Amino acid sequence: MKIETLKEIIKKKLSNEQFAVLTNLNNGSSEIFKLGTPISKNFINYKNEIQSYYNLKKSGIIDGTEIFIQNYIKPVEVIIVGAVHITQYLIQYLKDLNFNVIVVDPREYFITKQKFQNIKIINEWPEEFFKKIETSSNTALITLTHDPKIDEPALKYALEKKFFYIGALGSKKTHENRCKRLKEEGFNDEEIASIHGPIGIKIGGKSAPEIALSIVAQLIFETNKYKTI
Amino acid sequence: MTKSLKNTILEEAISWIKSGQQVALATVVETWGSSPFQIGSKMIINEKGNFLGSVSGGCVETSVITECLELIKNKNSFKKIDFKVSDENAWDVGLACGGEMTVFIEQIN
Repeated sequence: MKIETLKEIIKKKLSNEQFAVLTNLNNGSSEIFKLGTPISKNFINYKNEIQSYYNLKKSGIIDGTEIFIQNYIKPVEVIIVGAVHITQYLIQYLKDLNFNVIVVDPREYFITKQKFQNIKIINEWPEEFFKKIETSSNTALITLTHDPKIDEPALKYALEKKFFYIGALGSKKTHENRCKRLKEEGFNDEEIASIHGPIGIKIGGKSAPEIALSIVAQLIFETNKYKTI
Repeated sequence: MTKSLKNTILEEAISWIKSGQQVALATVVETWGSSPFQIGSKMIINEKGNFLGSVSGGCVETSVITECLELIKNKNSFKKIDFKVSDENAWDVGLACGGEMTVFIEQIN
């Protein structure tokens, strides 16, 4: 592989767009593929197969050929509401797992007090923040403040936009009250049941890194489920 | 979830090259059976045999490194290597999990 191709892959990965890398296993040539961009003569004979693997986001040697395609997909976006202690551990886990993370917290005190490095932190109320960004069903929401006036606008937005994972921190009682309020707001039982609350799988943990781990385990489970549908 | 490889391995490859090292890139291009690593897993190897990343759970790394050192030494540009349990070298490089895999190694230049 040429070093220029390698540099281009790194650049493309940072831009978070979908692309693929093609390698001809017979002659060693490789190039970057994106829908709508021209394919070189090394790969032109397999244009249709390449496009089909690209659309399916499937990686591997294309059947009956010596062409290897590796798809790079847009990472899942995780929006965390609440710059709390658990958030610091969540960020560490999620970065290793290649999720894109954004933290939102209107409380400046929390953001400056906790230590967050190399992470996008938005010091805004969730309702203001959501007005400005574009989300998709490829987005996950984790609310951690257990303060209804901060968490709930975010939860309502995520329910309306059908995020593939929505999790809310808080005790059973907190969650019951939260569900009641959402019902009064007009959300149906199915929508409300799609919120993971209390958040995380049961691993018997109490400390911040343990809670973060239980949340990440649940998120991974749901992500894998969602991606194979 | 399709976990894309972290930037760090590829970025590290660039920095190795910048510091004058010769670098080979190994990529898992095909798997059968219960191979633990997914297609696209990557490892980089320099001319001294230092490496970063992985292509299996440790089963075939040694063999991949040896092949990459040969590739660098002989100034070849690429090679496709099949790992099967039934290989005569099975004891050294076979996959304990019973899976099979193909690894593509190439020089970065």
